[in-house]
Amino acid sequence: MKNEYIPQLSKIREVIKHTETEYTFRMEFKGDVKPGQFFEVSIPKYGEAPISVSGISENTVDFTIRKVGKVTNEIFENYVGDSFFIRGPYGNGFDVDNYKGKNLVVIAGGTGLSPVRGVVEYFARHKEEVDNLTLIAGFKSPDDVLFKEDFDFWNETIDVIMTVDGAPEGYEGHVGMVTKYIPDLPIADTENTVFICVGPPVMIKFTVMEILKRGIEEKNIWISHERKMCCGLGKCGHCKIGSTYVCLDGPVFNYVDGKNLID
Amino acid sequence: MGYQVTCEQAEAVFSSWKEQYDIFAPIRMEGEGCFSDTDVIRYGQPDRLSDIVWDKKSDYSFKEVLLKIHEVLFYFTEDQTTVPKGPEKEILIFLKSCDLHAVKRLDQIYLKNGFEDFYYKRVREKAKFILMGCETTCDSGFCVSMGTNYSDNYDGYVKLEADHALFDLKEGGLLESLEVLVSEAERDLNNAAKPKQITVTPDYVKENKEKVTLPKNLSNESFTKEIWKEYGSRCIGCGRCNFACPTCTCFTMQDIYYKENAKAGERRRVWASCQVDGYTTMAGGHEFRKDQGDRMRFKVMHKIYDYEKRFGYPMCVGCGRCDDICPEYISYSNCVNRLAKEEE
Amino acid sequence: MGLDVNTKKLKKNAYRVSKERGIGASRIRVPGGYLDARVLGMVQEIAEEYGNGFVHLTTRQGFEIEGIHFEDMDAINEKLQPIIEILEINQEDKNSGYPASGTRNISACIGNNVCPFANYNTANLAKKIEKEIFPNDLHFKVACTGCSNDCAKARMHDFGIIGMTMPQYDPNRCVNCQACVKGCKSLSVGALRVENYKIVRDEEKCIGCGVCVTKCPTRALTRSKKKYYKLAIMGRTGKKNPRLGEDFLIWTDEESIIKIILNTYEFVKEHISPNAPGGKEHIGYIIDRVGFEEFKKWVLKDVNLLPETKIKECIYWNGIHFDR
Repeated sequence: MKNEYIPQLSKIREVIKHTETEYTFRMEFKGDVKPGQFFEVSIPKYGEAPISVSGISENTVDFTIRKVGKVTNEIFENYVGDSFFIRGPYGNGFDVDNYKGKNLVVIAGGTGLSPVRGVVEYFARHKEEVDNLTLIAGFKSPDDVLFKEDFDFWNETIDVIMTVDGAPEGYEGHVGMVTKYIPDLPIADTENTVFICVGPPVMIKFTVMEILKRGIEEKNIWISHERKMCCGLGKCGHCKIGSTYVCLDGPVFNYVDGKNLID
Repeated sequence: MGYQVTCEQAEAVFSSWKEQYDIFAPIRMEGEGCFSDTDVIRYGQPDRLSDIVWDKKSDYSFKEVLLKIHEVLFYFTEDQTTVPKGPEKEILIFLKSCDLHAVKRLDQIYLKNGFEDFYYKRVREKAKFILMGCETTCDSGFCVSMGTNYSDNYDGYVKLEADHALFDLKEGGLLESLEVLVSEAERDLNNAAKPKQITVTPDYVKENKEKVTLPKNLSNESFTKEIWKEYGSRCIGCGRCNFACPTCTCFTMQDIYYKENAKAGERRRVWASCQVDGYTTMAGGHEFRKDQGDRMRFKVMHKIYDYEKRFGYPMCVGCGRCDDICPEYISYSNCVNRLAKEEE
Repeated sequence: MGLDVNTKKLKKNAYRVSKERGIGASRIRVPGGYLDARVLGMVQEIAEEYGNGFVHLTTRQGFEIEGIHFEDMDAINEKLQPIIEILEINQEDKNSGYPASGTRNISACIGNNVCPFANYNTANLAKKIEKEIFPNDLHFKVACTGCSNDCAKARMHDFGIIGMTMPQYDPNRCVNCQACVKGCKSLSVGALRVENYKIVRDEEKCIGCGVCVTKCPTRALTRSKKKYYKLAIMGRTGKKNPRLGEDFLIWTDEESIIKIILNTYEFVKEHISPNAPGGKEHIGYIIDRVGFEEFKKWVLKDVNLLPETKIKECIYWNGIHFDR
C-alpha cells in the first residue's frame, strides 16, 4: 500500500528572485501537474507548507514562495543544488477547457498570481483558443511585483492591467485595488465572459462583488481558496469548510459552489 | 456462538487472548484525573478482564488506539525517510456500542475520504472489536437518538458478572480459545462448572435520559444564529470536546530536528482541535475562524450537518463525552436541541 | 457571695473572659474547618440554652458561643462532649470540655474535597496533625492550604503547609495545544516552555501549583502519585514584627512536616524565654534570638527528608518592624 505521507526528494534546478521576499524555485518533478494544483513542500527543520505550482514544464515544477511564516523563511537560505522533500500534486487545479473560446478575465492578487500563472501562460501562447484574455494583477507596491519577465511577454500578447496598492510619487503605472478596474472592463457579451479570481480571502470577496455587478453569472466565475492544510489528503481536517475539503474538492471552485464555502 | 462460563474460566480465555492480541480496554487510571485525587477512565492494556471498567463510560474514547495522539510518520535524514514499524500483534479493542459506531466514522475519513491513510490502515487491519453491553443508560449519552445504541457487527461480546461471564464470539481466532477451554472442561469429569452453550444477546440501551432531536433545516443561514454568540462567550477553546470525542479525527503535523544531530529528525502528527487557537492559521498569520462562537458553530455543524451532507449519515454517535468533559458546562446535546427547537 | 473564678484555668478550658463581668464565651475548635453538619445544631442548642443566642465564627475556624455565664461551664462542658467526639478532638477526661491551649486550631482551606485547584485533602491533614500535637500549651499556629494560592493564609502561620504536586508529563499524549504553558504564565510563575513541540518544565522555577495539570485537555500532564508540600515557617501577625513565613522545605512530605512540628515543641521548651508573658513567646522571636542554625539542628533531628526535598539552609525574615 502506498504511503502518501512520504515525500520525494526533489532537486532545486533554479532560483528566480522576484523581490526581496518572493522567489520562484524550479524543482525537479516528473508527472502530470495542472495549474492551480499544489504540493506539500517540506523544508528541513521546519515542516510542510501547501504551495501551489506557478509553472510547469516536462521535468520541473515551479513554486513561488513569499517569505512568510517559519516554513518558508528557511527556503530562502537554500539555493540551487540543494533539494527539498515534496509530495503532490494535490487538489483539482484549473481546467483550461472551461475557458476555451471565452472572453477570459483573470484577476490575481499578490502570490495569488502563482496558481493562475499557468492558465495565463497557456492562453497567452495559444491565443487562438480564447476569444480574449485580460489579466488584472494587483501587488502591494512596485517592489512586490512578481513574474516581471512574464509581464514583458504578456504586455505584448494579452490585455494586462498591472496595479499596485500604493506607490512612491512619480510612479507611472496603475495605482489602486484590482476592484477599481472591473467596472470599466470592456465586456461585449456577459454570457461568454468568464472570470478567474485568486488572492487573499478579502480580495476575493470584494472582487467577486464587483464582477457580479457587471451582470456576470455566478457559474462563469472561478475562485481558488487558500487554507491551512497539513496533509493535502482529506484527513487532517484543517482545510474543511462546511462539507468541503479544500484539498480534495478544491482549491479551485466554481463560484456557484465556492460562494457557499463560509468559514 | 454464546457461552456462559465461570469468572475464572473467563479470565483464562482472556489470558489466552492476551498471548495473541494486544488488548485495549477502558481502565481506571488512579489519580490521573484533572483534579487532585480523581481518576480518569481511559484506554490502556488491562491484565485481567476484571481490570476493565464495565459499568462506566470511559472519559476518553477508544480512538487513541487506532489513531495515536502522537504518531511518528517517519524519521528523516537529509535525503532519506524511514517509516517506523507498525503493530506486530493483532489488536483487540473492548468498546461500547456508541464507540463501535464511531469506528465506521473513523474508517470513513481515514480509508474512504480521498486517499487511504497508511498509518491508520495498518492498525485498523489488525483490529478486532469486543462489544461491552450497556445494561443501563449513562447520564449524558443519547445513543438512542443517534441510532447507535445497538450493534451487531462486533467480533465478540463479553459480559462480566459477579459470578459468571457471558461470551458471544463470532470470529474464529477469538472463539478458538474458548473452545479449547470447553473441550478441556469436558474431559475433566471432576469439573462441575462446565461452560454452558447458551444464546447470548448483548445488553443495549433502549432509552436514554438525554434525548436529542436533530434540526432538519440547517444551512449556511444557520451561521448567523444568536446561539453561537452565546456559546462563543462561554467557550474557552480548550479542545477537550474534540479530544474526548470518538469521531473527531483532525491532526496537525510537527517536524522536529534532533538537538544532537540537526540534520536528522522526525515528522509526527498529533491530534488537533478545531476549537484551539491556530487550527486555521496559515503561514503569514491569517486565521479564518478567530471567534470561539464560529469555532463552536463549525464543530456542531460538522457533527450534525456537514458530515452527513458529504457521507450520508450524521457524524455524532451520541456518546455524550463532550458534555461530560466541558469545564465550562457547555452542553453540545442541549445546543443541538436548541437548534431543533428554534425550527419549530 | 462573690464570683470566684480561676480565669487561668477557664482559659485553658477554652473559655474567654469577656468585657462583661461574669460573662464569657465558649470556644469550639473545628480542626481543618471541616465538620459534620450535626455539630451546627449542637452549637445552636448551647447558644440558645446557655448563651445569648449569638455565635461568632472565629478567624481560626471555630465557633465562639457568646454570653456564657461562668457558673454554667460544667453543664456546657457536658453539652460539648458529643461535639468533641464527632470532631475527634484529643481529650484527656470525658465531659471536661475542650482542652484549649496555646496551640491554636489547625485551620485549612476547603482543600481537595471541593476545590479544583487544591493538591490534597487539607482537612484530613489538619486532623492528622491535630492528633499529633493536641492538646498542647505552647503558642503554635499551623495552617494547611491546598495550593500556592494560599487561601488559608498559611504564610501567616508558624507552620504553613502548602500543597504541591510534581507534574508528570507524558509526551506521547501531548498535542502542543499549550494550554499548560499559557495557564502557567498567566496564573502561575511561567515555568513551562515549548521545545520541539513538547513541554519543558523549569524545575527550579516550578512551584508545584498544579495549574498545568488542570489545564491539560488530554491527560498528558497528571499529578504525581506522591503528594508533596511546601513548608513555610514563622509567618505571623502581632505587635512587634509581623512577617510572612519563608520557605523552609520544598517538595517535602507529611511525615517530615509532622516530625518537624513535634521537634519544634522540644526546641521551644528548651529555648523559650523564662519571662515570656503567660508562657507564650512566638517561635519566630525565639529563632531570632537563638539563631536559625540552632532551630534547624533541633527540628531536623531524626527527620528523613525525601531525596527530592529542597531545604533552605539559611532563612532571614523581613516584615514590618515596630520594635526597632
